[in-house]
Order: sequence, then C-alpha cells, then structure tokens
Amino acid sequence: MSDAERSYETATARLEEIIRRLDTGEAGLRETLDLVKEGRGLVEYCAAELDAVSQGLEELQLGALVARLEGTTTSPADEEHRS
Amino acid sequence: MTDAAAQRPDGLDGSPLPGPFPVGVWAKGFQEFLRERPRVQLFGEVVNLRRTKARAYFELRDGDGAAQCSIWNNRLDALKLPEGAFADGVQVVVAGGPDYYPGSRTASPGFSFDVTGLRVAGEGDLLAQLADLRRRLETEGLFLPQKELPLTALPRTIGVITGESGKARDDVLAGLHRRGWGGRLVWAFAPVQDRRAAAAVTAALQDLAAIGEVDVIIVARGGGSLTDLFAFSDETLCRTVALLRVPVIASVGHHTDRMLIDDVAAISASTPTHAAEAAVPRDIRAEQARTLREAVALERHGRRAVVDRARVLARMARVPSDHVARHRRNLHQSLRELRAAAGRRSGERRTATATRALVLHRKALAGAGAEADARRRAVESLGLALTAHEPRRILERGYAMVDDGAGGVVTSAAQAREARDVRVTFADGSVDATIQDGKT
Repeated sequence: MSDAERSYETATARLEEIIRRLDTGEAGLRETLDLVKEGRGLVEYCAAELDAVSQGLEELQLGALVARLEGTTTSPADEEHRS
Repeated sequence: MTDAAAQRPDGLDGSPLPGPFPVGVWAKGFQEFLRERPRVQLFGEVVNLRRTKARAYFELRDGDGAAQCSIWNNRLDALKLPEGAFADGVQVVVAGGPDYYPGSRTASPGFSFDVTGLRVAGEGDLLAQLADLRRRLETEGLFLPQKELPLTALPRTIGVITGESGKARDDVLAGLHRRGWGGRLVWAFAPVQDRRAAAAVTAALQDLAAIGEVDVIIVARGGGSLTDLFAFSDETLCRTVALLRVPVIASVGHHTDRMLIDDVAAISASTPTHAAEAAVPRDIRAEQARTLREAVALERHGRRAVVDRARVLARMARVPSDHVARHRRNLHQSLRELRAAAGRRSGERRTATATRALVLHRKALAGAGAEADARRRAVESLGLALTAHEPRRILERGYAMVDDGAGGVVTSAAQAREARDVRVTFADGSVDATIQDGKT
C-alpha cells in the first residue's frame, strides 16, 4: 500500500490486527516475521504522521498562506509565528 | 317564517325602531353583513392561542385593541410553519375578514376575524424562512455531500473561520491544545454578525478550500440572537458549504439555535471547543503512547519468534548426536550383558548336559540288564503254555473236535442233536457226520 492510499486510520487498524494475531501465538515463524516486518513499516508511518502534527502549533493567517503558496513575500502583519 | 316569527310579541311602547325581529333572523343577517365587509390584512401579537379539532383560535392584540381570530386547521397546516414558530407572543400578519357565528338555541354565538392567510413576522418570520430554505436544500440533497467526505484522523492543516476578537477563537485553541495537536492553523477572520457576515464567511470558505493543504475547516461563532446568527443560514453560504470538497465543522451559537450551516456541514458541534476536538478526532499524545506500545509489542514478538526458533533449532541439532550417543551406550551395555550371560549359560549347559548323559547312560545300563532277563524268561514260559494248549496236539492224543460246519464248536450232545449235520475233526482230517439219535 502506498502512502497516498494509506491513511492513519487504516494503518492503526492494520497494526491492531497484526498485534492481535501475534498475541494469539498461532502465527508460525514465517508469518510472524512477515507481520513484524509489516508492523514496523506501519509504526514508522504512524510515528511520522504523529510527529507531523505535534511539532508545535504553527499559526498563519489566510492571507499569509495564500501569499506564501503564490511565492510572494508576506507582509509583517501576516507573518507566521510558532507558539 | 320560523315559530318565533309566528309568535312575534309587540314592540316597546313608543319606540321608533323597527321590529321586534326574531334574533336568529337578525344574527344570520348580521353574519351576511359582516361577510360582505372588505377583506383586509392585520398584524399584531398572538395571545391565547388554542386549537380545537377543526380550528385554531387566538386573539390578535396590540397596544390599542384586539380582535378574536380563527383559522381552519387545514389552512394552518398547509402553511407548514416550523414547530414553535406560531405561538403566543409571536408577531403575525393575517389576511381575512370579519365573520359571525349566529349560534342557536343550544350554541353560543361568536364573532371572529376569519383568517384565510397567515405569516409569522419578526423572529418568527426568520424561522419560517429558515424552515422553507431548509426544506428546499434538503430536497436538493445538499445535506449529504459533506457527510460523505472522509475526515482525516490527523489533519496537518486546519482552517478556522471565526471573529477575530471573539471567545470562539480561544475555545478552538483550547480544544486543539486538549488534543495535543501542534499542526498548522490557518486563521480566516471574518465578521460574524452583521450583514457582511454571510458573504465574508463564504469567501473565506472558498479561499481556504482553494489552498488545497487545508484538511478540515472549522466555522465557529459563539451564541447570539437569532438575527445575529441568521447569517449562518444564508442560502449562498450554505450552498457553498454543501458543495465544498473540504469537510466543514460548524459550531454556531448555542446548540438550541440550529442554523442551516449545521445541516449542510459535515459535523455540527455544540461548542467551538467540541468543533476543534471533532477536527482532531484522536488525542495525539495518546496515539503516540499507543504507537510506542505497539512498536514494543512488535519487537517483542519478533525477538521471541527468533529466539524460540533458535532454541528449537538448537534442540533439533542436539537431538541426533544425543540420540546416537545414548543408543551407543545402550548397545554397549547390552553387548556386555549378552556376553556375560552367554558365557555363564554355556558353562551351565555344559555341566548339565554331562550330568544328564551320565544319568541316561546309567539308566540305559540298568534297564538293559535285569528287565531283559525277566522278559525273556516270561516269553519262554508263555511259549510252553501255548504249546501245551495247542488243539492239534490234543487231537494227536486221540481226541476229536466237533463243530457245526459253520465254525461253531459243538460241545454237548444237545447241541449235536440240534445241529444234526456236524463235522468231526481228527488230527489227520475232518469227516462230516449226521447225528442219528432217536431222541429228537
């Protein structure tokens, strides 16, 4: 599954499913290693998603964002600030 | 003419007025008179509204006077007024004209302004307009598109449309803080209560959606009068929200004041704080803790699987050599025991065989001695006895043997007489004889 198709919800749901399967102890060595590998990828994805929204609030004003997206300089009044 | 007309009493003495007329006649005439009055529109406040099976009755009042009004239920229902819009205290405009119920001997008469049309004015009018617009938008299916948009669990960019100085702004921040959310927040400040509000909010919505990075938009406004909040039921604003490709979470006024934006938005939240929490459905810190737990669980499972497998492999690797060694030990032991046992048993057998041979030899010697002599002697004596009893020897001594010719020996005179034909055998041969004895 590519990152574009993957959402945090599907990733966490799949992770829970994997942990549940592993917790049953019914998975053989091959399956366990495959699940652990898949799970590691999902954990990395989830951790990255969480990191992206826990870096500290970045506040912008609409005008500033529009200006930035258009590649123009922002006015001092519209400058972003991190809290 | 009625009975009353037939029993007409005399009029008042000296009165110049016509009559007396039966009251029923006059009442019907009065009814006709009133119904011929011109139809008009009145406005005033509804008081003492009560509904019966057929009609609703109310008084229309203002500071200078009042009129008893009535409206047929079917006419009132056809207006499809929102619940609570037509009630005591509400300003209404009514159309109609005066009417009179003439009554009867058993029913009281009554005057009423017969209402044929009605519109709720003032705030009630706004509610009626709101209800009408709500019906139209719902019929067009505009309540659904926003609800079908997927909401991102972890939005990176949130747009917020609110008043710059309102409490709603702080409430949104508090809600986001409570979730531990630290992404990008795009403020779109707009007037939220005057005539410009609807157009400004609509423009902000379009701009935020056009940016493309915005995952969800919150429209927040604190409580206010119905008139203040009415901008959020603006038709253009609501149509814009309905067709926006970015989910909109609305929190406008108190929850009891349901504006149209609440119907068309993806989510209607009761407060700006709840709107912020709805925009970030998951608690970021809790999610981080969970992800860590899951990472630890995965590593534990992975390590355990490998370690367990390694143990199994080690055990499997040990098994053949252990097995062979154990069997070799067992074999050696068995071999030693066998050898020992074989040596012991052959010695024992040798001794036993020799013993048995000696015993047999002795028995053979013993058996072949005394017993053989005795048997020989017995046989000799038996031979002598048999010889003495041989019939031929007896015949040689002069005796004869008589038989019946068929093998039966005849040993008495009676048997001889009975047999008649007998055979007499001598030592040198036999002769047939017939018994001739008179005594038969």
